Amino acid sequence: MSYKIPMGPYHPGLEEPYKLDMICEGETVKDAELHIGFNFRGIEHLAETRNYIQITALMERVCGICSFIHTLTLCQAMEPLAGLEAPPRAKYIRVIMAELERLHSHVLWAGIAAKLMGFKTMFMTCFELREKVMDILQAISGNRVNYSMNRPGGVNRDITDPGAILRMVEALEAEMAHTVIPIFTTSSTARSRCAGVGVLTTEKAVSCAVVGPVARASGIGQDLRRSAPYAAYAELDFDVPVQPAGDVKARLLVRALEIMESCKLIRQALEKLPPGEINTGDDKFKFSTGTSTSRVEAPRGEVMYSVSWKEGARNPARVHVRTPTFVNMPAIRWMVKGARLADTPLIQASIDPCYSCTDR
Amino acid sequence: MTPLESIPLKLGVSETWQFAGGVHWLNLGSVGVRALAAAMNEVRARFITITAYELPKDEGFRLEYHWDLNGNLLGFPFTITQKSIDSIFDICPAVDWIEREIHEEYSIDFAGRAYEPLLLKPGATLGVNLRELPTEVAK
Repeated sequence: MSYKIPMGPYHPGLEEPYKLDMICEGETVKDAELHIGFNFRGIEHLAETRNYIQITALMERVCGICSFIHTLTLCQAMEPLAGLEAPPRAKYIRVIMAELERLHSHVLWAGIAAKLMGFKTMFMTCFELREKVMDILQAISGNRVNYSMNRPGGVNRDITDPGAILRMVEALEAEMAHTVIPIFTTSSTARSRCAGVGVLTTEKAVSCAVVGPVARASGIGQDLRRSAPYAAYAELDFDVPVQPAGDVKARLLVRALEIMESCKLIRQALEKLPPGEINTGDDKFKFSTGTSTSRVEAPRGEVMYSVSWKEGARNPARVHVRTPTFVNMPAIRWMVKGARLADTPLIQASIDPCYSCTDR
Repeated sequence: MTPLESIPLKLGVSETWQFAGGVHWLNLGSVGVRALAAAMNEVRARFITITAYELPKDEGFRLEYHWDLNGNLLGFPFTITQKSIDSIFDICPAVDWIEREIHEEYSIDFAGRAYEPLLLKPGATLGVNLRELPTEVAK
């Protein structure tokens, strides 16, 4: 006999509002229904009532973790409409900020995953590491969450102390290589909670069109930084980690390896950081009529913005935002089928869902 | 022939790709969205999203379907005068949530599928995001 167990909408696994109805037989999950929209904000609609300065601040608030990515994607979409191109130094600063954001997002996720595994020592270790990244982000931008770094035509703040970033990257890399990755891959706690759990096969991953680390942990080697490079990524060398197993362990490994790749990217970007202006210096823009689209590889996967503008208008005519969790979350249904009920919080957390993005 | 070049042939379309605003656009004329979705599956393109626009006056809606093919962002515009278009959910399961969201925000029916509420509560009014595009942008 099957029965339904509602999880949520109050903090079903993560401290965010969403709901999963688990249809179980005994302790085994047979199916799941997902519900979102508990905190839907109508930001796309609101964007149509904001000018290009206000909209940048507004879109930064789509997500608290990848706020930089959202303004980067928005500005990259607005720039062709305004006839702007960010200077080379700004493009490198955008790479450095985007990778710092990926570092803090992935380390935060590793901490939360450890907590859900019942591995609280590792949770504390990861959050201590994350603080180091947050300190650097604050030193660069003055803010810990909404950085106000992007603007149409470049960035607002320069990188003045590359040495501090390098020292943080070296410390983070050492801790990841010597502590976090070995423990996550060899400890019996992590192995027993993650290996073979919450499998998303490559075939299902393709049909669900999942993105980011979720896709790469199911054997799909897609990454916009490689396939459709933006900012300065085309000038930098990095690998795209791919794991074929499709389980929670694979998603954990992909993110751990991506942390190492981000460190590599930041180091290269700092070495190659060209001199010059950080923005075009314009503060009044004239938008031409049309629609422009930009895509960026956020920590959770592809973000896409389509921006439409009418020449002479103060506000955009339409802004459409496609966030990674919006496409990754439906795949949870396939991951939890056949899983033990006790594993479902970790499985849903393994996609690193963001309901702030989803309820945009 | 590249996969991108093969798409118009597969669909029997004489139009060619136009690159604008970061997107490779192809106008499909009378080809329907279900034939398009089948062709996209054939070339193993990855579905991204549908962007909906309400057109001025009584011109209806424009739905822009986006897929990724090897890093190329593809766009296929469809204009609908009635508030209905075929669903592609059975061919392309990844459209599930965006079809449901557009149904709730623009009150557009994706024919051939059932809906569960996604963002709105059951019984809530559809069409919460209706806002006409200026005529110049809609062209």
